[in-house]
Formats: sequence, C-alpha cells, structure tokens
Amino acid sequence: MVEDAAPVSTPGVTTAVAVLGVGAAAPSLRLAASDVAGAWGSGGGRGTVAVCDSDEDTLTLAWQAAVRALEAAGVEATALSGLWWGTTRPPFAEGPSHAFLSTALGLDAGATGMLCAGSPHAGMEALLAAWDALAAGHARIALVIASDALVPGAGTAGESTTGAGAAAFVLGALDPAGSSGNGSGAPARLVARATRVMAAVDRYRGDAERATGDVYDGRLFREEVFVPLLAAAGRALGAGEQGGPGVGWAIADPDGKLAPAVAKRLGGALVSSTIQATLGDTASAAALLGAIQGCADAEPPAVVGLIAYGGGRATAVSLEVGRAVPGAGDVVATVGDGRRVSYVQAIRARGQLEPMSDPIPMGVPPAGAAFVRGNVEMLAFEGARCRTCGVISTPPSIHPRCTGCGGGELDVVRLARAGKVQTFVVNQTMPPPFQAPLPMVVIDLDDGARIMVQGSSVDADDLAIDDRVTLALRLYATERGIPVYGYKAFRMTATGGTPEMSGTSGAIGGSADGAGGGGR
Amino acid sequence: MSWNKVAVVGAGLIKFGELFEQSYEQMAAGAFDAALANVDKGLDRRSIDAAIVATQRGTLWGQEGIGGNTVPSALGLSGIPCTRVENACPTGSDAFRIGAMVVASGVHDVVLVIGVEKMRDKSAQEGLLARAASGHPLYNRGETAPVLFAPFATRHMHEFGTTPEMLAAVAVKNHHNGCLDPYAHFQNEITVDQVLASAPVCRPLRLLDCCPQTDGAAAVILTTAERAHEFTDKPVFVAGFGVATDHPYLHEKSTFVGLPATTAAAERAYAMAGVGPGNIDMAEVHDCFTITEILDIEDLGFVDKGKGGPASLEGETALDGRLPVNPSGGLLAKGHPIGATGIAQLTECWWQLREEAGDRQVAIRQGYALQHNVGGRGSGVAVVNILTRNRT
Repeated sequence: MVEDAAPVSTPGVTTAVAVLGVGAAAPSLRLAASDVAGAWGSGGGRGTVAVCDSDEDTLTLAWQAAVRALEAAGVEATALSGLWWGTTRPPFAEGPSHAFLSTALGLDAGATGMLCAGSPHAGMEALLAAWDALAAGHARIALVIASDALVPGAGTAGESTTGAGAAAFVLGALDPAGSSGNGSGAPARLVARATRVMAAVDRYRGDAERATGDVYDGRLFREEVFVPLLAAAGRALGAGEQGGPGVGWAIADPDGKLAPAVAKRLGGALVSSTIQATLGDTASAAALLGAIQGCADAEPPAVVGLIAYGGGRATAVSLEVGRAVPGAGDVVATVGDGRRVSYVQAIRARGQLEPMSDPIPMGVPPAGAAFVRGNVEMLAFEGARCRTCGVISTPPSIHPRCTGCGGGELDVVRLARAGKVQTFVVNQTMPPPFQAPLPMVVIDLDDGARIMVQGSSVDADDLAIDDRVTLALRLYATERGIPVYGYKAFRMTATGGTPEMSGTSGAIGGSADGAGGGGR
Repeated sequence: MSWNKVAVVGAGLIKFGELFEQSYEQMAAGAFDAALANVDKGLDRRSIDAAIVATQRGTLWGQEGIGGNTVPSALGLSGIPCTRVENACPTGSDAFRIGAMVVASGVHDVVLVIGVEKMRDKSAQEGLLARAASGHPLYNRGETAPVLFAPFATRHMHEFGTTPEMLAAVAVKNHHNGCLDPYAHFQNEITVDQVLASAPVCRPLRLLDCCPQTDGAAAVILTTAERAHEFTDKPVFVAGFGVATDHPYLHEKSTFVGLPATTAAAERAYAMAGVGPGNIDMAEVHDCFTITEILDIEDLGFVDKGKGGPASLEGETALDGRLPVNPSGGLLAKGHPIGATGIAQLTECWWQLREEAGDRQVAIRQGYALQHNVGGRGSGVAVVNILTRNRT
C-alpha cells in the first residue's frame, strides 16, 4: 500500500531554498461550531471557525498575508521574480485571478509565477512550484501564497469545521557558491519533500456549484485513506526517525481529528493545532499556516514538517528553522481575533442567503471599457504626480493634466496606503449590491495625495475626522457574477492598528514609477 | 450698472410632485402654457423665435435621446430652433443664462427657456444608485447624491460647531415657506424635533435634511429690454450672471467647508450686475440638502464663513428675516426636478420682484433678487443669475 512506496524525492537530492519571511491573514468573522449545530437542530460542536465577511474572499486574504510577509522579509514587491498562488477555488473559476492579485501586490508586469487550484493541495503545489523555479535558477525571490475561503455546503459535516485563512512565504534561492552556501544564514530552509497519491473522492464541487459537497464516510476515509496517505508522505521525508532532529508537524486537517492521528503515527508534536482551533480548516493554507505557527513556537535549530492533502494527493515538506523567521512571531496577533457572528450572519456573508430581489445593475459593467481602464489603476493604487508642482492627482486615467497647476507632465506612482481622515460620511441605507452602513472616507494619504474610498462597516460608529486609517484590498461587490475589488479604509486603533489590519501601513512595494507607464 | 439687456416677460411652472400621471411632454406643455398665461399683455405662442430646453438626465429617467425636437413638438412649435442644455444641477439656471445671451446676441428676439425633468419614472432606488454607479467605476462606487454633500456637513460641524439643530432649522423654514407656495411638492409644516428624529440616510444627514425626488417643469420667456414693454409694464431684467467650475471629484476639493464654484460664480455675477450681496432683497439658492443652503449663504457673501448655521437658526433667512432665502420652499420643500429647478427658482424671483408672491411675498427694497444652483460631481459647477426690476 501507500505506506510502503519508496520516496521519489529524498532529502539528499532536493535543492534547498531559503525562507526569508512569512505572513498570515484571517478573515474578520468567527462562527461557533455550536451555532452551526444549533441551526440544524443537533447538539454539540466545539470551537470556532473563521468566516469571510461579505467583502472578503480568498484573494483579499491572500493579499493581506502577502503584504505582511513582504514587510517581514523586507522585500519590495518589485524585487519579486514572481507570484506562486495556491487556492482551491480562485475568485474567477476561469479568469484573471492571478493577474488581479499580482497587480494589487505591485509585482512587476513582467513577473512570472503560477496559479494552482482545484483542491486543498493547491497551496502546497504553489510552494513546490516556486521551490522548483528557485532551484532551477529561473527565479531569485519568489512569493508563495496559500489561501482559501471555501464555502461549505449547508448542513454538510464540513460546515462546522471549514474555516478560512491565508499564509504567505517569501522564498529566496540559496547561492551554492556564496558564503552562505549551505543556507545556514537564512532564517529557515525548505530542504526535503515527498508526495503520495491515492485516487479517492472525498470533498468535491462541480461546475457552477457555489458550495463544497461532503458525502464521504469520515471514519472510513480517516482509517483507510487520510491517515495512511499523510503518514506515508511524512515518513518519506525521513524525519521523525529514531535519533533524527525533533520535528513539529503542521498538518492540514478537515475535521480536527486527522492531524493528531497522523502526528501520533509519525511521532512528534503537532504545531498546527492552535491555528486549527482558532480558524478551523483553512484548506490550502492549513499546512503553511501551521508551519508559521511552528516557526513561531520553535526553539532553533528545529525542523517543522508540513503535510498538505487535497484531491487524492498528500505532500510532506521539511522546513529547517535556523533562527527566528521574520513575521512568524506576529501570527497569533494577526489572525487571532475576529467578530463572533450568528449562523445567519455567517451564511449571509458567505453569499448563501440572498434577498430574492435582483440587485440593481451598476452603471459601469465589469467587462466595459471604462472598467478596464479603471480597474488596473485601482488595484495598483496609482496616482499621477506632477513633475512641475508635485501634486498627485488620482486616479491617473481621468487626469491627463495636473489638478494642482494644470501641468501636463505626470508620472504614474503607487500611492501610500495609510493616511488621515479629512472628512467622511456614512451611507445608512443602501440597496443591494451595497450593504449599509457604508462609510465613504476622504483621506489625506501620507504621500500628500487625497482620495475618497469606501470605509469599513465596522468603523461606521466610531469614525472621526483626523483618525488614522490604513487601506486594504477588499471585495466591493459581485457585479453581474464578476467579483469587483478595490481598497477600503480601516480605522487604526490607538495601539497602532486593528488586529486584522496591523502591519499594512506604508506604500505597496514602495514607489514603482513606470509600473503603469508614464503619465501624459 | 447692471447688464439689463434682456428682460423676463413671462414665467410659470406646474405644480411639482410625483407626477406619475403626466408624461415629460405633458409637463413641458403645462409649464409653457403657465408662462404664456402670465404674460401681462399676452403673447402668441407663434412669436417664440427659439427655445432652449433644460433636461439634466434624460438617459437616467427614461427619456433617452431627448434632443432639441421633443419639446417644440409637444408645445405646438415644431420647426423652431431648439437646443437641449445639460449642466448638472445648474442645468436650468445655465439654460437661462444661455437664453439671455442668445437674445442679447440679436439672433433671436423672443426666446423660451424651459426646464423639464422626470425624476420618478424610475424607482427611487434606481435614482439613488444611478449616482453611486457613475463616474470612475471604482473610486466613486458608493457615491450617492447625499455623499456629495454630507462630507461638507461633517467638516463644517467639526470646524465651526455647526449643529444638527442648525441644519434642521433650514428644513423647518423651507417647509414652512412651501406651505405658502401652491406649486411646492411638500406643503406641510415640520419641526426641528421631527427632522432630528427622521431616518438616518447618510450621516450626518437625515431624511428631512434631503430634498425629495420630484417631477416638474417650469418656463420663462425672454426678450430684449427694448421690446419688453410690448408684453408687460412690469418687466424684470437680467442684471447679471456668472458660471464657474471646480474639479469634479470630491477628493479634489480644496475645502470641505465651502463650494469654491459658488463663490467664483457669484463674484462674476455681482460684478456684471454692479451690485454686492448687500443689495440683494431675496435669494433662491440650491438647498438640495440642508447643509447646502448653509454653505450657499456663506459662499454667496450673505453671512461670514462659518456663520451660516447660527444665521439659519436665528431666522435671518426667514421670510421676514434680514435676507429671505428660498421663499418658494426651496428644493427641500418645493422639490428638485433638476432641469426645471433653476427655471422655477427664477420664476419665484420674478414673482417676488413684481410683488406677486402672495402670502410668501418678502419686502423688496433695492429691487434685486439672486438665483443660484450648484452641483455636478463634486459640486463642480455653479451658476448665479441676478434679476432686477430696476431699469438701470
């Protein structure tokens, strides 16, 4: 059986790569498993799961985790060779998911990378693909993001365990000839990997279905598929043997029972249980999020073993931690807190409870030319800076000339993502697709530009003139079936930021003059 | 020395409201007939040489493709030269300004300026969202009409201590005036407490801080100062006008406690009319929201910057106040059928200067009335027209 199969990759033949920094993100809502059970008339249910608010999804979580990882690693987005993103279900089943995220993060338009999807193994696949690109010399610095915000079918077993979250790793190639030839200078290194396959249907979602189905027999699959397969992948690493380095396991876990069983089978501690208890099963992100927790908890030198599963494939990766990994220590602070919501609020936020009336269509369809012009400069968060007077006019597409002096020589720049409230309002009654309360905030950004964007409904009661705010990418609406993204303002608390928003100040990847071509 | 090259010899409007039973064309015909009926010595409809039509949002409200031909046909004037004007909320007042310039040019002697707007042929929700969905597809998403003005209220309150009670005083006064105006959409008194207890719409604005969505039409007939006496012994002259623009987006405003376009338009109009704010007997100003009237009376120079709130609370702008503002009920009570709004305000000024305004007549001392609209994205367009009954 699977446990006896010989490893295809062994530690001896794998080229190691460096982990330069990590970041994590979780959505803002928390749903108690007992509330899910109560909604269906059954008792029990332990712990909470993380649920996306209506303006969050796998892409916005991915963006947030990546911003944090880049900041932790001290890497500018423009320095990245590419973006490797793994998510079970990208926001566009077929479409520009990767391009949207890459643009919003500020990667160079010529950057490479990959979008992996189709199962919760996707996050691991992205990690492996980036690793391969680095090892092959095709990339120097790679951004890997694993994110998921799956929608569990109402009433399925997965409903009380399915969470949401994102993890990002900034990876770098190790220079074999350099002074850190063995990578000992890197905070951590990916050193070994092994994959095992077994064709079995567990969770699935068909074309055009909103929610993920879940009809397998839990005990049968745990005993005959999951535990043997994951344990085989882990054992193939060669870690956890008698006399080997101490290993903490970060294991994807659909029901809160699998990971402990696998860890027990392999021997070693389970380091992903804290994240699992806080967020639930984060699918593609689970193993990487668990590994970040492992890095935070580890006393170097240590080894963290990641095991991801999805779509009949299990992959184990060995991560050697040499010293504190930048960003790892923030993981609990950044993903720990959330607003507790009821079952009805949660399924409404996930789009599973919708009003019968059709939303009124917006004036500019997402496929229209005006949208195409506007979307890039919104995602990239661009302004046009005047060479004569320095005033930044936003957005560039509607400002062929400077709003300050009328000058015509403008350079496209990326705007600062933090500033101060000049004035604001709160829309308190809005028809769909909007949701009230909806603040609209005029912000004096730290680079001197002024913009108006939507604010967070969470801040509706507290927002005040002169408040410090940061901007984060959010899902504005799903318009004619198409997700529409833009930045929203979030009020920073006196301690420097809301738990979910800390660490987002500053420009996206710094100045990126010419990222969108020069202004006219 | 006022401009005074053009005279208003007839003006009229239809009762504003939710006119579900009337078509766009029927509203236009009603306003034209009302203006003709108010020409003291009579005027044959076939004497109209040309027309300017003010309709702001044909494509939004269901009158797609309105050009210059729809209205003349409805008025029995098919064939005359006619042009449609659109310039945001000042559409009607700008059409008037253009009509005056047409007459002054000597090309046409008798010109009809008519404003017609259907606001309620589509649902109120569609009307609200139409604004929120226009402009930049992302930066302006969520920008409803109240969002264009409420940020000024937030900031005005912050800088000057303007209170919700001061805002409410504007609505209470204009509703009172509306009760005296048979053409007003709303004809009910309200109290400050009712305003403060009305539904929150767009903080800090509540429902009664906002004008309604109203159907309506209004018309004025212009001719040269020389020919005015063929039609009336009480002509009202165009003393001066001004139009000004500002950047069209809220985040481009240089200030959130005033509307620079209003100030600039007023300066031009005052200079052309040879008068100042102290010469104005009454004003019809743009009160789409209560805060707007407070900004207006400051920007037009009637009160110092920051004093608009206390002035409103203390009755300075009431019918018997130092400077009566919006005796017709304003946009808040009379209604705001956009293309018709400015023409209806000018009709009110015409009546007031002729002292024909009945129970809402204000004291006319110096013989000047001011009409003002401001609007468009970012309130970036303002028009001020000044009328006078003084010949020179």
